[in-house]
Amino acid sequence: MIHTFQIILAFMGSLGFSILFNIRGRKIWYAALGGMLAWVIYLLGGLWLRGEMTQYFISAIIVTFYSEICARIEKTPATTFLTAAIIPLVPGRALYYSMSYAINNRFVEFADYGSYTVRIAVAIAAGIMVASSLSRVFFALRSHEYRHDSM
Amino acid sequence: MLTKELLSYILDIGEQMLVSGAEVNRVEDSISRICKAYDAKRVDVFTITSSIVVSLQSKSGNTLTQTRRILKYSTDLDKLDRLNNLSHYICAHKPEAEYIRNGIEMIGIRRIYGPNVQYLVYGMIAGTFTMFYGGDLNDAAVSAAIGMILKSAITFVQRLDKNVFIVNILCSFVIGMLGVLLVRTGIGHSFDKIAIGNIMLLIPGLALTNSIRDIISGDTIAGLLRLCEAILVALSISFGFGLVSVFVGGMFK
Repeated sequence: MIHTFQIILAFMGSLGFSILFNIRGRKIWYAALGGMLAWVIYLLGGLWLRGEMTQYFISAIIVTFYSEICARIEKTPATTFLTAAIIPLVPGRALYYSMSYAINNRFVEFADYGSYTVRIAVAIAAGIMVASSLSRVFFALRSHEYRHDSM
Repeated sequence: MLTKELLSYILDIGEQMLVSGAEVNRVEDSISRICKAYDAKRVDVFTITSSIVVSLQSKSGNTLTQTRRILKYSTDLDKLDRLNNLSHYICAHKPEAEYIRNGIEMIGIRRIYGPNVQYLVYGMIAGTFTMFYGGDLNDAAVSAAIGMILKSAITFVQRLDKNVFIVNILCSFVIGMLGVLLVRTGIGHSFDKIAIGNIMLLIPGLALTNSIRDIISGDTIAGLLRLCEAILVALSISFGFGLVSVFVGGMFK
């Protein structure tokens, strides 16, 4: 139940950010669905993956692929969808807690939460990296084949 | 025919793209494609987050160089989309310089959501993320209200000082003070959830994603610059909260 609720909230959060970044027309819905997808994959990953970082990693990969595909459909830069869709994964809570521990002089907890935040950020970054390099290769190959076919 | 005027318009397109949130790779690629479409023999483009340099050699042997310094960013993905379409059109049809100027002017007329929608969206995002991270309805309502105040605070501070760090420090200070106040009066229940919901509005998400995309596509310098900027913004948010704890005697848990 709490998960369904969170998925809906992830959708709304991404929707809000796509309006904030001034995305227009039906592209808003692609971006918001991407945000929902990100959280669904994250939660599904929790069912059979060990380790939270892997969950973030896989989720970032799938969302990046999703936005690259949407970008091809809508003929617009992939950043448009990726930026808003990745938002539910952003480690806002971990960042806040590490910050507040640092302010309150509790450095053991700060080290814990700080490294946790960095780990999440790195996992997301790695996911985006892997997926965008793969999709670069994939789309380059496809356009190459296409050119050969049309000749 | 490549003239100074035409090159300046091409740079305008590149500059606008970078400002509204494109990756460095896309900017360099668009500029050099357009120049190649107008029969340049050789094009060298160098872009980092704060400047664009283009130097091109035409078939007749003339060399033209122009530079742009980029001072301010404002994310606008709709504008980026339209600039992207314009640059594709230019590559395909090679229109006169006049046409490009008109195109840029048309794009300059921004299509943005009205201020009321923006306020609502700030409130919605803050409330949504408060609930997303486990706050109850009271927290969400308080957080949404603070989100709307945050929007007006951002507009106000930006009028005084455009520096990103100052804006972030002051805005997170406002969030923290209001949050503490509303929790102490008993309207909100958990300060941390309210603060997290509002922090999501300030977190440099776009800068982070773009910096990673820049690094992958080989623009390491630009990517690292953007990454540093994102980290500094995160730090300045925590400075703002640190300032709050000075005033209220460290009530965070």
